[in-house]
Amino acid sequence: MRKYLLASAAVALLGLTGAASAEPVTATPGKDLKMVLLPKFLGIAVFDQAHTGAQEAQKELQNPSEVQFLGPTPENSVAGQIEIVTNATTQGVAAIMLSNNSGDQIAPAAKAAQEKGIKVVTWDSPIPSGEGEDVFVAQVDFTETGKVMADMALSILGEDGGEFAILSASPDAANQNSWIAAMEAALKDPKYANLKQVDLVYGNDQSEESYNQALALVDKHPGLELIMSPTTVGIAAAAKAMQDEGLCDKVKISGLGLPAEMVAYTMNGCAPEFALWSFVDLGYLSYYTAYLLATDALKAEEGAQFTAGRMGDYTITKDPTRDNGLRILMGPFSVYNKDNVEAAAK
Amino acid sequence: MSGLARLKGWEGLLLALLIVVIALNVSYSPYFLGVGNIVNLFQLSIEKIIVALMMALIIINAEIDLSVASVMGLGACTMAFLFQAGAPMPAAILAGLAAGGVAGAINGFWVAYVGLPSLAVTLAGLIGFRGVARILIEDRAVGGFPRWFNDLGQQPLVGPLTLSIIVFVLMFAVVAVILHRSAFGRLVYVIGNNLQAARFSGVRVARKKMALFVASGLVAAFAGILYAARLGSVRGDTAEGFELDIITIVLLGGVSIFGGAGNIAGVGLSILLILSLRNGMGLANITGNTQTSVIGALLILSVLAPNIAQMIGNKWKGREA
Repeated sequence: MRKYLLASAAVALLGLTGAASAEPVTATPGKDLKMVLLPKFLGIAVFDQAHTGAQEAQKELQNPSEVQFLGPTPENSVAGQIEIVTNATTQGVAAIMLSNNSGDQIAPAAKAAQEKGIKVVTWDSPIPSGEGEDVFVAQVDFTETGKVMADMALSILGEDGGEFAILSASPDAANQNSWIAAMEAALKDPKYANLKQVDLVYGNDQSEESYNQALALVDKHPGLELIMSPTTVGIAAAAKAMQDEGLCDKVKISGLGLPAEMVAYTMNGCAPEFALWSFVDLGYLSYYTAYLLATDALKAEEGAQFTAGRMGDYTITKDPTRDNGLRILMGPFSVYNKDNVEAAAK
Repeated sequence: MSGLARLKGWEGLLLALLIVVIALNVSYSPYFLGVGNIVNLFQLSIEKIIVALMMALIIINAEIDLSVASVMGLGACTMAFLFQAGAPMPAAILAGLAAGGVAGAINGFWVAYVGLPSLAVTLAGLIGFRGVARILIEDRAVGGFPRWFNDLGQQPLVGPLTLSIIVFVLMFAVVAVILHRSAFGRLVYVIGNNLQAARFSGVRVARKKMALFVASGLVAAFAGILYAARLGSVRGDTAEGFELDIITIVLLGGVSIFGGAGNIAGVGLSILLILSLRNGMGLANITGNTQTSVIGALLILSVLAPNIAQMIGNKWKGREA
């Protein structure tokens, strides 16, 4: 008993001191910091949304320097990202926010930036080795992705359940594979017992291929009631296929989609529900993180807490998906249906 | 032709453009003339310009090697694959170079001894060698090379200069001597100008072409390995798409796509011009498609300008007569 008391006292003490030192830090607005937002490449809608979010944060923090939204072209993505990081280093910017498309190949350039005192915050896609990166702002947790998809399937098929199939991107797309695995794991819960997965096919993130694969699924499985597609290309193509063939009453579409691309299908009932995280919020949170790091208000270390404006408080933790690296988990998903999709599509 | 007279032509135009670009860069960015930036300017494209030197020889010889970027990938992937399989790094590097030499010999065999057009042969090589590279590395990224290897790619070796930059300077000198001061170089021009004439006058055309393609493969693989050292890791798509930039540099340098014409000074100026332009735009935060468009426009102009000049010149002559 005494031991127990002592232990709980110690825990309480730890808790107290922990709470005292872990008061979330807040940003001091008005610092003039040049910051670069570097997407995988230019010309992609979701990255433009992240730019909007970063600009919102920049105005809120009254940083007189505009966000420098610089990116390579798709065919020059790796070398282009390295070049932009190197030139930003030459210019001595305060922070680089990177959606990495170069794997570990960006690490030497990112390390050189850090050596010059530049903060490197990754978002959307981290540096796998964690080298050259202060912290990664992760959009969602992969486990949660699986659960959100399972919940949407349940909500569409109802308690009685039914047959569903998955239309994914390519067989070797790492993110989609882990989301599908997470969904399959989530489905083991008894409350999803009536949901029956009958197939898994790949549309390779090509619209036409995904469209044909969706129709083939309907032919192959007469009892099919739902196609889940964890890719924005696949879900839109599948919804179009069902709409074109007048199958929407029989087979519903769900998964991960962009509101702007899905709004018509959600309003006409082909895709009653789908999910995605907000790239605007991701850009906003990344900017706050980079600003706080660059002003030395926040240290990139485990347990550090901070307030990111309208999005509230966040904590830096070890990244469970990598051997070495720190993570800020944004979350949650936005689930879209006919009540909110029109506003989000604008 | 004296040096000065030659400068009035294509190289003169490149030099004038270069001076304009440098002047703009200097006036726009206080960082442009920094030693660190000049090193970066070369370092960011160093592998491409090393391969471009060899490409100049190939194109002057009236051939083309579209497979260079894939051979860069093949060299790097062969090395990374063997390193991961446990081979010591020096052996892995040699094997990577050898893979490049073999790739070059395959190209050379079909072009020089079978007589197929190099455009078709090396296009097949572009696809095939990339395929082998991708099979070796699959969808992984292979890194974790020894410290000394990464340092050679990333750290200065002599003063502020990296190994790659030193290699480039030496290679520039060697190619200049071969092309403009050696018997082999003269034959490269002769073959490029008139293949039949070269054959009839007893030049061993096939051997020369074979030598050039093997050298091109070796140099490309070497550049691919330098690229691996600079980035510290290798993927199946390493150096993908580089061939266009490389050929672009050579053509902008005034080397005729039909062979037989061009010189190393022009290629050197073209390298400086493109790199300065890219770097200047990068420092001015002009990236993505805008940057590509500006360089594209320069190239279109550079291809059109001499032809227009010639047309006007011809008309002028016609009037005189």
